[in-house]
Amino acid sequence: MEAKTEEQSTKRKKQKHGSFWTWLAASVLFRLVLIYFPKNLNLSSRPEVSTPLTSLRRLAEGYWLKQSSMSPYAGSMYHGSPLLLSLLGPLTVKRIEGQPNHLLCSLVFVVADILNAMLIRATGQTLQVAYWQSLKSLDLDTISESSEVLPSGDIAALVYLWNPLTIVACVGLSTSPIENFAIILALFGACKRLVPLAAFGWVMATHLSLYPMILIIPMILLLGYGPDTPRKLLLLRRYGKAEDDTSIDSCQQQERVINQSELPHVFSWRPVMLFLLWAIVWSAYVLFLCGVSAKQYGSLWEMFERMHGFILTVQDLSPNIGVLWYFFAEVFDFFRNFFLIVFHMNILFMIFPLAIRLKHRPCFLAFVYITISSMLKSYPSVGDSALYIGLLGWFVNELSEMRFSFCLFSVYVGVSLLSPVMHNLWIWRGTGNANFYFATAITYACLQIVLVIESVSAMLNHDRKLRKLSNTKIHVDKS
Amino acid sequence: MAECGSETATGAKPKRKPIVWLGIFLISHSFLFSVVFSAAGVVALLLLPVLAKNTYISENALMPGSVASMLSNQEVAEANRLVNDLTNSNSKTLGSAIGSQRIIAQHMSNLGAEVSFHKFHPQLNQFHPLHFFSSPDSGRVEQNISCALHGVNTVGIIRAPRGDGKEAIVLVTPFNSAKVNPNEAFSLGIAYSVFSLLNRVPWLAKDVIWLVADSQFGEYAAVCAWLRDYHTPVFSGLGTLDAEMCPESNNLYEMNENLSTERAIYDGFKRAGTMAAALVIKVADRSEHFEDSLGIYAEASNGQMPNLDLINVVNYLAVHRQGLRVKVEKLWSLLGLKWLKTLGEILESLGHFARSLNPNWKFGIPAADYVEGSATLASSLYNQALGIPTGPHGAFRDYQVDAITLEIFPQFSSLENIARRNDLLLRSARLIEGVIRSVNNLLEKFHQSFFLYLLTSPAKFVSVGVYMIAFALLVAPLPLVAASLYVNSSNSDSSVKKGKPASSAIVTLESWKWLYATKKAFIVHLWGSVVSLLPYFICQIPSCTPTTSFAIWVSLSVLSLVVMYMVLASPSSHANESQPQREEWPILKSVTLSAAFTGLCLMSVINFATAEIGGLLMVPMCLMAHPLKPDVKARSIRTLSRAVCNLILGFIGFPPVAFIVLKAKFEGSGSTNVGDFWSWVESLWAWNSATYLYIGMVHLPCWALCIHILFHRS
Repeated sequence: MEAKTEEQSTKRKKQKHGSFWTWLAASVLFRLVLIYFPKNLNLSSRPEVSTPLTSLRRLAEGYWLKQSSMSPYAGSMYHGSPLLLSLLGPLTVKRIEGQPNHLLCSLVFVVADILNAMLIRATGQTLQVAYWQSLKSLDLDTISESSEVLPSGDIAALVYLWNPLTIVACVGLSTSPIENFAIILALFGACKRLVPLAAFGWVMATHLSLYPMILIIPMILLLGYGPDTPRKLLLLRRYGKAEDDTSIDSCQQQERVINQSELPHVFSWRPVMLFLLWAIVWSAYVLFLCGVSAKQYGSLWEMFERMHGFILTVQDLSPNIGVLWYFFAEVFDFFRNFFLIVFHMNILFMIFPLAIRLKHRPCFLAFVYITISSMLKSYPSVGDSALYIGLLGWFVNELSEMRFSFCLFSVYVGVSLLSPVMHNLWIWRGTGNANFYFATAITYACLQIVLVIESVSAMLNHDRKLRKLSNTKIHVDKS
Repeated sequence: MAECGSETATGAKPKRKPIVWLGIFLISHSFLFSVVFSAAGVVALLLLPVLAKNTYISENALMPGSVASMLSNQEVAEANRLVNDLTNSNSKTLGSAIGSQRIIAQHMSNLGAEVSFHKFHPQLNQFHPLHFFSSPDSGRVEQNISCALHGVNTVGIIRAPRGDGKEAIVLVTPFNSAKVNPNEAFSLGIAYSVFSLLNRVPWLAKDVIWLVADSQFGEYAAVCAWLRDYHTPVFSGLGTLDAEMCPESNNLYEMNENLSTERAIYDGFKRAGTMAAALVIKVADRSEHFEDSLGIYAEASNGQMPNLDLINVVNYLAVHRQGLRVKVEKLWSLLGLKWLKTLGEILESLGHFARSLNPNWKFGIPAADYVEGSATLASSLYNQALGIPTGPHGAFRDYQVDAITLEIFPQFSSLENIARRNDLLLRSARLIEGVIRSVNNLLEKFHQSFFLYLLTSPAKFVSVGVYMIAFALLVAPLPLVAASLYVNSSNSDSSVKKGKPASSAIVTLESWKWLYATKKAFIVHLWGSVVSLLPYFICQIPSCTPTTSFAIWVSLSVLSLVVMYMVLASPSSHANESQPQREEWPILKSVTLSAAFTGLCLMSVINFATAEIGGLLMVPMCLMAHPLKPDVKARSIRTLSRAVCNLILGFIGFPPVAFIVLKAKFEGSGSTNVGDFWSWVESLWAWNSATYLYIGMVHLPCWALCIHILFHRS
C-alpha cells in the first residue's frame, strides 16, 4: 500500500501541481469516511495505535478527573501533557447528536495530519533546492538533467498522507499526529532558518514525548551549516578549482565563485546561539503554562514524574509493538534499574557516532535519530513509523539506489498484517501466547534496524558517487 | 528472510558470510530447491498419519476415572420419569411448546436447582466476515432480529457447596420444544440424571449450569444467544438484551406466575461464574449396528479446537470406564481409494524394513490404520478449513470456553428395549459425571495441552509442531523463487545498462522498479476485497436463486475489474512516462509470489487447514506461471508441456472450478452446478469464516495475477 502511494507520487511528477492537491483532498476524504465508522474499526483500542501516552481515551479520563478537581495524573490513567489536556480535553466531552463520539478530536487530528503534510512538503522543497544548488556547484547539473530529479517534497508529503500507518494513527484517535506535528515543525523551522519557530517546535516535541530531545544535534547542525549538502566535496572542489584557475574561462569561474559563496561553508554560530536562547525562553514559557495548569492539583514535579518519569521507567507493561514491555515483564526486579539505564543509553550511544559521520546531512541525521528512537522508545506506536516513513520521502533522490527496498516493503506489509492477527490469537482466542505477538515485535524492530542501515549506507554511497562524478568532471575539464 | 539473504548476496560480492553464501546457493538453484521443497511438503502431509502421536492427559489435576462413579439406578429412574412426562406431554396437543419447558423447569426446580427462562430472538444471517477479528461481543448487531420469532431456553443452575460461585461447568442439551423427539428426550434424560446426582454430591466446587437449548431455530443459534446474554450483562430491570428490543408482551413471564411450584422461578437472567468447560449432549437419530458408540465433534469456528485434554478425558473415560466405542468424523470417500491403500502398504513395509534394521525404530503403522488415519485427518482438515463449527459447541469457543459435542449413537433398536435403554442411559450419564468430576478438579482453565492439532483418530493427534513442517516445506519455494526472479531481472537489467553510457545518472530508480508491479498487485488485491464485499449487496436482492446470484456476482466482479483497470492501472496513464517503465513479467511474478507467501503465512496463523489446502492449490499454480506466448512459439516439448500445465493449473485454481472439482471428487458425481458454489460461499460468510476472506482476498487475486502473467505479452 505504501508502494501505491509512492507510486502515485512518482507518477505525479508528470502531472504537476493539480495532481498533488487532488491526492491530498482524496486522503482527507478517505479519513473522513473512515471516521464515520469508528465502531466497526475499533481502532482506538488497538495496542498498535494507542499507547498509554497517546490514547485519547486516557486523555478523556484525565480531563474528567481534572474537571472534578482531582489531579489528572491520579490513578495512573493519564500520562500526557497538561497543555494537551486543556487543548483537547474540552473537545472530548463535546458530543454532536447523531455523530460519532470524539468527532471533533478526529477532525483536529485530520487537520494536524494535513499540516504535517504541508510542512513536510515545504521542507522537502527547501531540501530539493539545496540539492540542486549543490549539484550545480559540482557541475553535475547537466548530468542530472538526463535523469530528472524527483520532486521529493511532494513525494514525502503524499507518502506521509497515504501511508496506511498514518491513516490508522489519525483515525484511531491517538495523539501522535500532534506529537509528529511538533517534530516536523521543529525541522521545518530549522530548514527555513526560522529560529523561534524551530525552538518552539523542539521544546514542544520534547515536552510531549521526550525522545525528540536528541534532535537538538541535527537542529544545531542544520542551523549552523544549512540544509543537506555534500559539503566536504564542495570545499574540496573549491580548493581544487583554485589550483587550475588559469585554465578556465574567467567569466564562468566568477559565476561559480558567486554560486559557492552563496552556500554557507562555515559553521555559523549566531543562529545556533539564538536557537538556544529561544529554546530557553520557550521552555520557561511552557513550564510556566504547565505550572499554571498544574497549580490546582499538584506541583510541576508531579507532572514530570508522571509524564517523563513514566516514559523513562517503563511502568506500563501492557503489550505494544516495541520490545521493552516483554523484556521488563521478564526481568528480575533488582536488575530493573540497571537495564533501564542500559536500554536508554542505547539510544544515546548511537547519537555521537552518527552525528560525526552524517554531520553534512543534518536532515537525514534527524531522520535516522527519529527512526532509532521509534525503535527503542518505551511506548512506540504506528504513528512514529508513519513519521519516519514520511521523512524518508525527502531523500528519494539520494536513496534511489537503496538495496533491499522490495524486501523491506514486503516485510513491512507482512508484519503489519501479522501483528494484529497474533494479538488476536493471544488475547481473544487464547490459543497463542505472548511469544507469538512478541515475535512480530522483534521482526518489526529488526526491520527498522535494516532500514536504518540500508538508508545510511545508500546515502553514503550516493555521496561517494557524487565525489566520483565530480572528480571525473574535473579531469574532463582539465583535459 | 530468504529474500533478505538473497539481496545481501547481490550487494557484497568480495567477502561472503556463510548466511549470504547460503542465500546465493539457494537462489542460484531455486528451481531444484523449489521442486524438492514442494514435493517434500506433499510427502510430509501424506506422512502425517504415520507421525501422529498417542494422546495423553497432560494436566495432572484432571485425574480422570480415579474415583468410582456415584451415579446409580435411582437417578436413572428419575430420568426415566422426566422422559416419560415429556413424551406424554407431546401426545397432548395443546400448548406443547410451553408445556414441555414447564415440565423440565418443574423437574429442575424440584431437585432444588435455580431455574430461569431465557427468551431470545434468532438472528438472521448477517454479512460480517471480519467478525472473527474482533472481540466476541463487539460484533453484536442489534437491528437484525425479527420480533415475531422467539425461542425459550430453560436454564438450571446448581450452586456448588465447595465453590465460591466464580466458576461453572455447562451442560447443553438441544431440545425442540415444539416437537418432542424421543432421541432429544433421551438426551435430556441423560443430562437430568447427572444433574440430579450433582445436586446431592458434596464434592462439587464449580457451579453446574444445565442449558436446555430451544433448537427450533437451530441448536447453534439458541446456545449462541444464551452465551451472548450471559457475557453482556444488562443492568436495567427484567429481560435480556434481545427481549428489550421487542416491546411485545412476554407471555413467558405470565407463564411463570401460574407455575405452582414451591420455589418461585426467577424471571431475570441467572448467571454462575466463568465457564471452565462445556459439554453438549446429543443422541443421534441414526443408530449403530454393532455397539453403542460415541461421536466427538470438536471443530469450532475458524478451525479453532478445544484443548486436547478435554477430548482426552472424554475419550479415556468412554473407552476405559464405560466401554463405549469412540469415533471422530472421517471422510468416507477416502477409505476406498486404491492409491491411498497402496501408499499405506508401502509405508507399512518401510516400517517393517526399518524395524528389521533396528528394532528401536518404531516407524510405520498397519496399512488399514494408515487409511483410516488419513480419512480422519482429511475430515479434520476439511472441517477446520471450512471454519464452520460442527455443532453448538462452536459458540463457546468464541468466548474462550473449551467445549465439545458428544453424540451418542445407540445400538440398533436399543432405545426400544427398556433394559438396554436404561443401561445406555446409565453409562452415558456416568461418562458425563466422570468428565464433570475431572473438570471440577481443575485449578485453572485448560491450558496444559494443545490447542492447535489435527486428530487422526480419537486417541491420536498431530500437533502444530509437526504439521507446520509440511506447510513450511510447501510454501518455502515461494520466497525463494521470488527472490531469484527479482535478483535475475535486476542483474540482467544492470548488465544491459552497463553497455549504455548513462551509467553516470545520479538518480536511477533501479531498485524501485518493482513499484509498478506492486501497484498492479495492489490493485488486483483491492479488486479482491471489492469482490468479497459484493455478496453483501447481492444477497439483499429478493428472491434470487443461487445460480442467478452467482451469475450476478461473477458479472459484477468482471465489471469492477474492468473499471478498476481503466481508472487506476490503464496503460495510457503511464504511457507518457519518460522512462519506459514497461513492467516485465518476472518482476510481476516475483511480487505475486511474495503476496501469495504473505497471504498463506497469515492464513496459516489464523486457520492452518485453509492455508494448507489453499497452498496445495496455489503453490504449483504460482510457481509454474509463465507467459504462454513464448512457450507456444518455441514449440519444444518442454515449453509446450509447461504451457499445458499452466493452463490446467490456472483452470483448477479458479475458486468455483476448484470447488466443483473437489465436490465431484469427494461427494460423488451428483448434480453439481455453479449455484452450489454460491450456497457454499453464503454459508461461509454467514458463519464468519475466515476462509471466505482468504478466498476473496488472497486466492482470487493471486489467481488473477497468475492468469495475467500467462497472457502477458512479452
